Amino acid sequence: MSGNGTAIRASKLGKWYGNVLGLSDISIEIGAGITGLLGPNGAGKSTFMKLITGQLRPSIGTITIGGRPVWNNPEVFRRIGFCPEQDAFYEDMTGREFLTGLLGLYGYVPSEIRERAGRALEFVELTEAADRMIRGYSRGMRQRLKISQSLAHEPDILILDEPLNGLDPLSKRKVIRLIKEYRTEGRTVLVSSHVLPEIEALTKSIVLVHQGKILAEGDIHHIRSLIDTHPHIVAVRTSDPRGLAGRFVGQADVRSVRFDEAEGTVLFETKNRDRFFDRLTQLAAGREFDVEEITSPDDNLQSVFDYLVGK
Amino acid sequence: MPTAPFLAVFRFSAKLVRRSKRTKVFVAVAALPVVLALVLQINRLASPGLGLDGLTVFSNVVMGFSLQFLVLLLSLFFGTSITADEVDNRTLTYPATRPIPKMAFILGKYAASVSFLLILILASTILSFLILMADRMSYGTAWTFLGRSLAALGFGTICYTALFTLAGTFLRKSILFGLFFCFGWENVVQYFPGTTQKFTIMHWLKSLLPGIEAGMGPSNDGTGILKFLLFRHEPSPAWAAVLVILALSTAFLLLAGYIFSRKEYLFDE
Repeated sequence: MSGNGTAIRASKLGKWYGNVLGLSDISIEIGAGITGLLGPNGAGKSTFMKLITGQLRPSIGTITIGGRPVWNNPEVFRRIGFCPEQDAFYEDMTGREFLTGLLGLYGYVPSEIRERAGRALEFVELTEAADRMIRGYSRGMRQRLKISQSLAHEPDILILDEPLNGLDPLSKRKVIRLIKEYRTEGRTVLVSSHVLPEIEALTKSIVLVHQGKILAEGDIHHIRSLIDTHPHIVAVRTSDPRGLAGRFVGQADVRSVRFDEAEGTVLFETKNRDRFFDRLTQLAAGREFDVEEITSPDDNLQSVFDYLVGK
Repeated sequence: MPTAPFLAVFRFSAKLVRRSKRTKVFVAVAALPVVLALVLQINRLASPGLGLDGLTVFSNVVMGFSLQFLVLLLSLFFGTSITADEVDNRTLTYPATRPIPKMAFILGKYAASVSFLLILILASTILSFLILMADRMSYGTAWTFLGRSLAALGFGTICYTALFTLAGTFLRKSILFGLFFCFGWENVVQYFPGTTQKFTIMHWLKSLLPGIEAGMGPSNDGTGILKFLLFRHEPSPAWAAVLVILALSTAFLLLAGYIFSRKEYLFDE
């Protein structure tokens, strides 16, 4: 970790594949905790991760881990664990051989290799299947094995490229739990995904990437506040939806009001989320209306992303 | 005590080489000279006085096959696979994100492949020799012949594998290049007269084989036993051959390591 707690730092980072832009002018600092890298397929997430893990050389700008450049700097990899997106393995090995073989590349002595491999397999709940050939593993087991190889040497920076891709719901929950468990104090976890609820289940700290550029970064609510010019929808469940609607229709920040009779809610579209909530709180506190539930149907990553890319 | 990166890669790769399906196929190919030697020897024992002398069969058939085909083929497939397999199977990410210098990665993988090939090729050759010479073990010149044949095969494996390791680091279709090189360039240019044949690796390898100057005169089967392999060969001194082969192998490997450390490998998605 560098002096100010930043694990990964990119400065004016760019990457071209010939004439094709992969990543452009990325400047970002990523510190401890889980950070979600979010964007559609082809947005540049994998390019960014390959730059962080030294598999690609920046065309321009710099990328450092703990203040040290990554490209052709193998010692940096003692601190990094990387779980690639591709479902690729040495199929003719068992899960344990795969792990011990890769741990051997860190220069550990055999007893430490066995111990670390055992711990990593136990962590991802693959101990029982450890001595079976990888080619016989299910998709979920393969994904967990891939994660185990990334954390077996206990790196303080864990980078996971689409770790939930193609998993069934049960396996997804398992992997999400594993990732959250790994994030202990001081550790940095960077997770990419193009599936928004997956990132949402892992973290609120996100970086939105689109067409090779960072659209926004920070806490999801912070990002939401960045787009305060965009209307925000608030759903309020009350026993008197029409009465409540009448109190807001005249307000300048309210753009529209709709009723969802099936749900018993009234949906307000407001340009000023904070002012709207202030007023609603006053009404509820003054017992003029009973408010059973307040939800923000679009206060999720999908809507933030849609707004930012101009959908 | 921590393991040196080269040794760590060697151990990991040796396991991969032993386990791969390709290995099983090529073990079968490498066993062909042994099978052939067995068939010929059984035939000779069944019909005494008929058939060829064991050393003649070994020098022309076994050595011809091993030096001009087996060494080339195995070196080609194992050498190019050192990086090409990792890229094609998209597993390069795993070793590439470990604290291993890229030169150590190339050298470790090369050493694992070459040591396996040396065991395979030399074992096949020695077994074939023992089978064919079972009734002539006291023939001292034959043992000299075997020693120099093994040297030619060994140096050939080292040099060709280094060349194809280099090809695999920067050519997308390194196998095609290798096939052209082995069965086009090497198998044609080696028969050109004068200095031209020295532009093949095969020329230097054949210079390691015993010739007339090694005391194997025609009456002792000397050039007679090598008439197929040494056809149109204008030998260079053996010491020069060893130096050239080692220099070429070193240059190929250093260049392979350099290219591998500079090049970005992109996977087909």
